[in-house]
Amino acid sequence: MRTILKAENLQKTYRVGSVDVHALRGVSLDVEEGDFLAIMGPSGCGKSTLLHLFGGLLTPTAGRIVIDDEDLTAATDAQRTDIRRRKIGFVFQRFNLFPTLSADGNLRLAERIHAGSNGAGNAERRREVLTLLQLEDKMHHKPLEMSGGEQQRVALARAVVTSPAIILADEPTGNLDTENSAIVLNMFQEMNYRFNQTIIMITHNPEAAAMCRRIIQMRDGQIVAPNVVVQI
Amino acid sequence: MFDSLVAANILQRPVRALVSVAGVALGVCLVMLFTGLARGMSNDLERRSSNMRAEILFTRPGSKELMTSTVNLSTRYVEELERIAGVEAAVPVIRYISQGSRGFGIEQVEGVEWAPYAAMNGMRLIEGRAPEGNNEVVIDETKARNNRVGVGGEIQIFGNRAYRVVGVYSPESGARIKMSLAAMQDALETPNKCSYVLVKCRDANEQRVIAERIDAALPGNKIQFTNELVLNIEKSIPYLGVFLRTLVGLAAVVSALVVMLAMYTTITERTREIGVLKALGASRGYIISVIEKEALLISFLGLVIGFAVSFIAGHLIHRTYGLVFEYGWSWALTAAAIGLGGGALGALYPAMRAAGLDPVSALSYE
Repeated sequence: MRTILKAENLQKTYRVGSVDVHALRGVSLDVEEGDFLAIMGPSGCGKSTLLHLFGGLLTPTAGRIVIDDEDLTAATDAQRTDIRRRKIGFVFQRFNLFPTLSADGNLRLAERIHAGSNGAGNAERRREVLTLLQLEDKMHHKPLEMSGGEQQRVALARAVVTSPAIILADEPTGNLDTENSAIVLNMFQEMNYRFNQTIIMITHNPEAAAMCRRIIQMRDGQIVAPNVVVQI
Repeated sequence: MFDSLVAANILQRPVRALVSVAGVALGVCLVMLFTGLARGMSNDLERRSSNMRAEILFTRPGSKELMTSTVNLSTRYVEELERIAGVEAAVPVIRYISQGSRGFGIEQVEGVEWAPYAAMNGMRLIEGRAPEGNNEVVIDETKARNNRVGVGGEIQIFGNRAYRVVGVYSPESGARIKMSLAAMQDALETPNKCSYVLVKCRDANEQRVIAERIDAALPGNKIQFTNELVLNIEKSIPYLGVFLRTLVGLAAVVSALVVMLAMYTTITERTREIGVLKALGASRGYIISVIEKEALLISFLGLVIGFAVSFIAGHLIHRTYGLVFEYGWSWALTAAAIGLGGGALGALYPAMRAAGLDPVSALSYE
């Protein structure tokens, strides 16, 4: 199995006024290709900081992150953006779809950003992804015309349409009811099992975590339970 | 090609987009209307001046060429000028300049002895007769058409004094309203005085020789050739060029500020979306290009509307006040550059600010 993400002794310290806040205190982690990893822990334990570091949205105070053989920590801001564009897909708790664009438009925007100056999107791929996520009849709907579950599925579709090396999901079911949570989690699982899509998901929900292949527990900026393998 | 995000963003806030478009259009209108008016008036003046057939204009020093209202030249010079060899005729003229009768622009009135003046300049009455009484005027056909007044009608000059139109003449030459010299002298209380004397030479090719003879015979006066008087109004009115350039600069500032304000509020409103763009891997260049495209689209719409409004407003002002608008390509291109350039420049700071946003802070923006 190939390692898609490797984190070594990650530390992140925020300066708040005159106080140093240690959000991460030496986190090391390996994520293999095809893994579906849940990160759990109480609020403020550093989960989101860790996810933002993996996504290149933040830089660590110390430590090293390698994604799909590219060293994120050695990269400049522009290079991190480029790595994010080519290799990472994000799914957020609040969906963060563009409200003025249809589902298809949101996907096309992601494709356009992913393609850079290399060309247009792939309509066939978009249709395939939307069909897989049971959104084919919502292609031309705008986010406000869809339920929360549908919006999150569109957000997942936006993340996978560019075939990223890894998907980083920040509490993707945090804003959904039980029924829609189950639907969305099934979709994540489907992506992982059918397409070997690597996924790291932050969640507070043990039922959501139970659908992953393995779980890590964090507390006070550290991993306290590094590798709970879920029996499926 | 403008991507759908740009168009969707504009459609999301139609009122703000319309205000921005109106701001750019205002800048374009300012440039087009003012330069169109200056050019139109200049060309109109040139056309009317070019119909003057006299070769020499004789005035006292201190008189201001064709824009004068000074009446300080004695009419006794007429006889003396006619005695100079080579001079065919000399006709005294008083030119009076006042505010337009509709409170907009300027209006010129000339006092002339109609018969010799018309004969000298090849003019004829197409309707009515020459002015004789102190309350009579003739007008050119353009004035008659613009003011919808003909023989028997009345116009007001010198404030609210009513004058009866007794004739309409053609072609247009000099002031559009003419009364008798005596009537003008009476109205201005300047008996035996005029503004200048028009001198017609027997042989136009000898005008310089004749001018030298006039200067020798009547030293201390000002002698000008009429073909050199047909000056561009931009040169005739001091600092008009500076005024127009200042106006163009202000128009550019207005356009840039309006677009900057609109884009700045857009960026603030869409902070989270910009964070999402960054999370999707959008580069600084991509984010700047999205915002610049939006600004350019707004500016382009403003440009089109600005041109349309300028043409319509120019037409309406011409119909109402008789002012002439002539639009030139160079000023139209300047207006286009101001509209698009001002918009692009105005959006640059908000665009760069958006591109520099911290993605994590942007994503958590409420």
